[in-house]
Amino acid sequence: MAKEMIAMLLAGGQGSRLYALTQKLAKPAVPFGGKYRIIDFPLSNCVNSGIDTVGILTQYQPLVLNEYIGNGQPWDLDRLYGGVHVLPPYQQASGSDWYKGTANAIYQNISFIERYNPQYVIILSGDQICKQDYSDFLRFHKEKGAEFSVAVMEVPWEEASRFGLMVADENDKITEFQEKPKNPKSNLASMGIYIFNWDILKKYLIEDEADPNSENDFGNNIIPNLLRDGRNMYAYHFSGYWKDVGTISSLWEANMEVLDPEHSGIDLFDDEWKIYSRNSGMPGHKISPEAIVENSMITDGCRISGSVKHSILFAGVRVEPGAEVEDAVVMGGSVIKAGAVVKHCIVAENVVIGENAVVGAMPADGEKAVATIGPGVYVGSNAKIGPNAMVNNNVKDGDVQW
Amino acid sequence: MVNSNTSALGIIFPNSYDSLVPELVSERLMASIPFAGRYRMVDFLLSSMVNSGIDNISIIVRKNYHSLMDHLGSGREWDLTRKNGGLSIFPPYSEKNVKVYSGRVEAVASILDFLETQKEKYVILSDTHTAVNFDFRKMLEEHISSGADVSVAYKREEIPEGFKKIEVGRSDLYYTLSIDNGRVNRIFINAPEPGPQNFSMNIYIMDRKFLMEQVKGAYARGYVYFERDILAPRLEKLHVHAYEFTGYTARISDMKSYFDENMKLLDDENLDGLFSPSPVYTKIRDDNPTRYINGATAKNVMVADGCVIEGDIENCVLFRGVKVGKGAKVKNCVLMQDTVIEDGAEVEYLITDKNVTITAGKTMKGADTHPVYVAKYQVV
Repeated sequence: MAKEMIAMLLAGGQGSRLYALTQKLAKPAVPFGGKYRIIDFPLSNCVNSGIDTVGILTQYQPLVLNEYIGNGQPWDLDRLYGGVHVLPPYQQASGSDWYKGTANAIYQNISFIERYNPQYVIILSGDQICKQDYSDFLRFHKEKGAEFSVAVMEVPWEEASRFGLMVADENDKITEFQEKPKNPKSNLASMGIYIFNWDILKKYLIEDEADPNSENDFGNNIIPNLLRDGRNMYAYHFSGYWKDVGTISSLWEANMEVLDPEHSGIDLFDDEWKIYSRNSGMPGHKISPEAIVENSMITDGCRISGSVKHSILFAGVRVEPGAEVEDAVVMGGSVIKAGAVVKHCIVAENVVIGENAVVGAMPADGEKAVATIGPGVYVGSNAKIGPNAMVNNNVKDGDVQW
Repeated sequence: MVNSNTSALGIIFPNSYDSLVPELVSERLMASIPFAGRYRMVDFLLSSMVNSGIDNISIIVRKNYHSLMDHLGSGREWDLTRKNGGLSIFPPYSEKNVKVYSGRVEAVASILDFLETQKEKYVILSDTHTAVNFDFRKMLEEHISSGADVSVAYKREEIPEGFKKIEVGRSDLYYTLSIDNGRVNRIFINAPEPGPQNFSMNIYIMDRKFLMEQVKGAYARGYVYFERDILAPRLEKLHVHAYEFTGYTARISDMKSYFDENMKLLDDENLDGLFSPSPVYTKIRDDNPTRYINGATAKNVMVADGCVIEGDIENCVLFRGVKVGKGAKVKNCVLMQDTVIEDGAEVEYLITDKNVTITAGKTMKGADTHPVYVAKYQVV
């Protein structure tokens, strides 16, 4: 039986701009929004859109991601025919190769896609926070009679030159593609989400692979080739919340925006479009009589005895008496010891911030720095971590790092 | 066989002591009473069994079991979707008319054919009115080394008030044990003695074949109760070993104890007692994290995921998806899943069942000794 559309999710990115957070895990596995990981968003979008077959292309530090995905059950993707499959590079009779580029990653899995004989393939990216109905995108693709469609967002003109831009006519037909141009002709930024007719995608992947000069990349090679051949290419306008959380500051910002769904952030409280995740299985969180909690998001297993303001706490975080947490993202299992001050920063999983230590600071005007403590780090008592610091190794008692 | 599995199967009686909390079980049974923020009573027992390496568990239901079936599903959340064993739910058997069992003898008699074909050497029987983190491996080891026919778990404690109210002749029985050197020499039935007693937890371990023989014999004679009719009269012949449990227990024996046992979990020591050493599993709802909006205050509370708090909460246990509106004051309350306290409402000493709404500006107060209970789906 053929599937109408299957999804291929590019999750191989190293996320090197997230530094300390991605030393041991791939970017799509980075925790987000209190109880999620980034990859929960595209996976939940797939299920909520009726896509039941997803290939996840992994390459960099896949251990955490593999275990997290498991058999796909938390996303209802444990299916007899289809479901979620993690697809690392593998050895073939003709030799083995790492994924050389985004297009090559799909090329190496042509036989996976053929098992489902789909009419359409949607290419997704594993590093975006976004709620999107892919079935509406597919409806657009079919209505336009497109061979290729790309989801685009309108961005402010002054920022347009940072993006890959689609120039489209009044019928949304794409006439030109500009990759980070100096003089943008459009403000429609590609979200890196594409729908292809499978026969077209396959043809261009094979052609691209045969070209020794190609970088095997969708943006740099496949899309220009489609344009060259005058294929039916359309731009699908998306206007909801979308954030590429590729940097520490954008990750921090996107988390903070979750606290204000009425104005800026993604709305995680929408019963019509749930975001699924693998559950921590801990009992409810506890707030003790002496604690202060203001404008924050707190999940299962947390124990709060100190002060928590405008922050996001993941499962099992402990904030001891007298500790202060403000404008902070504190990931699962971390402990903020008594009297410690943790402000305007990201604290990764299973970190211990020692007694009376200071991490980060509320920024002065115009500053954007977000202090970051990598996973498993022990920050000693009375240590001081400056607002620009990126800490990956244990910090001794009383040490100062900037 | 690798030594990760325990050669015992579990049999759970989810309706035991339903009659002690008639309000809470009007549309459910003891096993599916919501407890401790995001759990149901049966979760503690199932998780304890699974964590003790028991992966063949039967639940013999009596009535009002739809909510339990909905909660358990295929048993996946407890890792009980197994090819061999796993979770079996036995509904009442309908021949000419539906036959509802009244005691354990009849209940077990109804699954004798099933028991015959199982491979486990031992069986563990239990009720669900006690939330507990129980190591069945330890009890089984002690049972085996004692050489007893039957082992029964007990705890040294005073008889809970709710049980004392049970009259002689009622169908719900409770048992206290007289123990000599680890061996039970007398079983007292509904004996409301003051002070700490050897209070039976109604958890039993015995050989599967032994159970089947006993039940076959007793059933033929028209006996109903396992303890009263099989064990108590024959303690000289049968070696009944007493296994003392010293860990934390939360027992539901009436509405007051339901309230108190929830509240007790606000003490970290009690919470850790119930949730360690092994994790407790439950049905996943995929709620978002709980959100405290500007202006909310929270003191001494346990809150599950999916809540939105805009008002003031103090000394409360909030289950999943509770909403507390602006200016609302909620004190000393147990609010079950999806309760809504609208803007400006003030409530104190309240137990709300699922999906209750307290409308804007209403005031509702119970007392320390008599918390007010609001039934499922009520709008006040």
